[in-house]
Amino acid sequence: MAHVPTANGTAMTGATSLVKSLEAANVDVMFGIPGGAILPAYDPIYDSTIRHILVRHEQGAGHAATGYAQVTGRAGVCIATSGPGATNLVTPLADAAMDSVPMVAITGQVPSVAIGTDAFQEADIRGITMPFTKHNFLVTNADEIPRVIAEAFHIATSGRPGPVLVDIAKDALQKQTTYEWPTTMDLPGYKPQNQPNQSAINDAAALIAQSAKPIFYVGGGVIKANASRELMQLAELLGAPVVTTLMARGAFPDSHPLHLGMPGMHGTVAAVTGLQKADLLITLGARFDDRVTGKLSTFAQNAKVIHADIDPAEIGKNRYADVAVIGDLRETIKALIPALTATLAKGRADLAPWLASVNKLKATYPLGYDTPADGALSPQFVIERLGKICGPDTIFAAGVGQHQMWASQFISYEKPRTWLNSGGAGTMGYAVPAAMGAKVGAPDTTVWAIDGDGCFQMTNQELVTCALNNIPIKVAIINNESLGMVRQWQTLFYDSRYSNTSLESKRVPNFPMLAEAMGCVGLSCENPADVDATIEKAMSINDQPVVVDFRVHRDAMVWPMVAAGTSNDEIMIARATAPDWDSQEL
Amino acid sequence: MAIHKLEVLVENEPGVLARVAGLFARRTYNIDSLVVGPTENSKISKMVIEVSVEGHSLEQVIAQLDKLINVIRIEEVLEGAISNTKHDTQPDYQN
Repeated sequence: MAHVPTANGTAMTGATSLVKSLEAANVDVMFGIPGGAILPAYDPIYDSTIRHILVRHEQGAGHAATGYAQVTGRAGVCIATSGPGATNLVTPLADAAMDSVPMVAITGQVPSVAIGTDAFQEADIRGITMPFTKHNFLVTNADEIPRVIAEAFHIATSGRPGPVLVDIAKDALQKQTTYEWPTTMDLPGYKPQNQPNQSAINDAAALIAQSAKPIFYVGGGVIKANASRELMQLAELLGAPVVTTLMARGAFPDSHPLHLGMPGMHGTVAAVTGLQKADLLITLGARFDDRVTGKLSTFAQNAKVIHADIDPAEIGKNRYADVAVIGDLRETIKALIPALTATLAKGRADLAPWLASVNKLKATYPLGYDTPADGALSPQFVIERLGKICGPDTIFAAGVGQHQMWASQFISYEKPRTWLNSGGAGTMGYAVPAAMGAKVGAPDTTVWAIDGDGCFQMTNQELVTCALNNIPIKVAIINNESLGMVRQWQTLFYDSRYSNTSLESKRVPNFPMLAEAMGCVGLSCENPADVDATIEKAMSINDQPVVVDFRVHRDAMVWPMVAAGTSNDEIMIARATAPDWDSQEL
Repeated sequence: MAIHKLEVLVENEPGVLARVAGLFARRTYNIDSLVVGPTENSKISKMVIEVSVEGHSLEQVIAQLDKLINVIRIEEVLEGAISNTKHDTQPDYQN
């Protein structure tokens, strides 16, 4: 949205200066809830061309900002008042930090003279959020507002993206000031390195050309850097297998023959074992997270590592890098393609035996699931049909747990920014508000939240926001009347003692009635034969949010699985069932 | 256990000490001693931090510290002399 620019030197209140600064930062939408300390800002918001969406809980505002950012690549913006309004943003900020999401959160603070006095609705939100914001600010001088807002957006969106919080004292919003949008930025301690070093690129190319068993270990950074097209060129140039982490699903098409799927705790046998047996990991925007590596000391023990990342602190954090390339991934891959082309022209290892062995694993151990004998609905079947019927242009946002893993496994992602989830923080309740933000960012695209019944009960109030603001998302509740992933761990590791994981009933709450109460269409389905028709009915409703209660059997488990703290070599394809390694040559 | 002395130039802004101390605490790095003082430039303060590195590499400590926006420059003090280059994780590959 084009906002009318405000001339520097114009006199106005701090609050108006804030709104004009947000306009100058090209904000087109923000999600928030007013309250006492932020109230001065809401008066000029009333006149602004920025669309403000009034949510029902600040956590919803935060995750909506994330969903918006993940789909558009632009900073998501949320706004809240002091005290509890601000602390309700803490979880989305932590979530955004873990998944490197560009976000700017604005909070009101008590008047500057009251700071430190335990005033009404006072919380030290800057102190609280220091560990998981990329940076944060406390503004007590109205004159500083434009500079701080400009810096906040610059920091949030450049380098490794992340959340930035701007806490503004109420009196700074009320005071008269002169609007001055800065023309330059003075951040002496912040200089992200975007352009990779050419000697590092050359070293990486040399290492790749020598490798007989290379594998691309692709993380969410590839999506952040908009480098999918370049990745495709690089992967096809080398002809090496590719794995995409939970945060990178869609960075490389699932249908591509070089794709082995997702690695990690619930990854495919081919992806997990491909990493284990490789002699070179070409790591692109991934961070050797424990859910990917399993027991770190046994992870890819025979592999050298090329680690390309925008964040120097990721290099060597969990795994030593033989070659580190610091820079924007798109620039890095663009530089690597000609360097590798030249190196490969001088001679290259034969990758055919390596490809044959990983492809054999892929063929022998495809993802699958058992259908319950009693004819009950399989959660995996529901998710698989959602993916098939809705197609690769649809955006899917998942909550956290079994349904999240199945949504990652059983939907084929072909394009970046079509898969949203809470990967690092594992925030139950992410799906509905994130889908809301995604739909606002991509209004012409179908957006499905795939949520668990446990997750859905944490943040479903945002369906009211969706219904009243023409944000027609669709929600598939995978209702197994359980906290399913925790229950799975209890089955496997706690002798099936289901302490506090049963949600007791598929009928309480009555999700379709709850959906109707919130202004949505409520549907339900518990028969496999009705799944397709139910999904098609949901797809036909585009003027209202739709909630489908899929009542599934509760004993389904996510496989494959590498138990926490164990080696990826101990991957299980079903309970107490390891792959038949003797028949594999790796 | 190796103790390293770091000279860290930071922006003289409220909360900088909390940012540095909080980073060390949450990443389980040990501070043996910490001195903060002014420089000739009133906008910049200097911290001298003695850190005992156990289970972490010095490079990782420095790289994480360098991510703080208010941290301008980090130098390791070696045997009474100050190294000239700003530390980073992989010095070979810095432009």
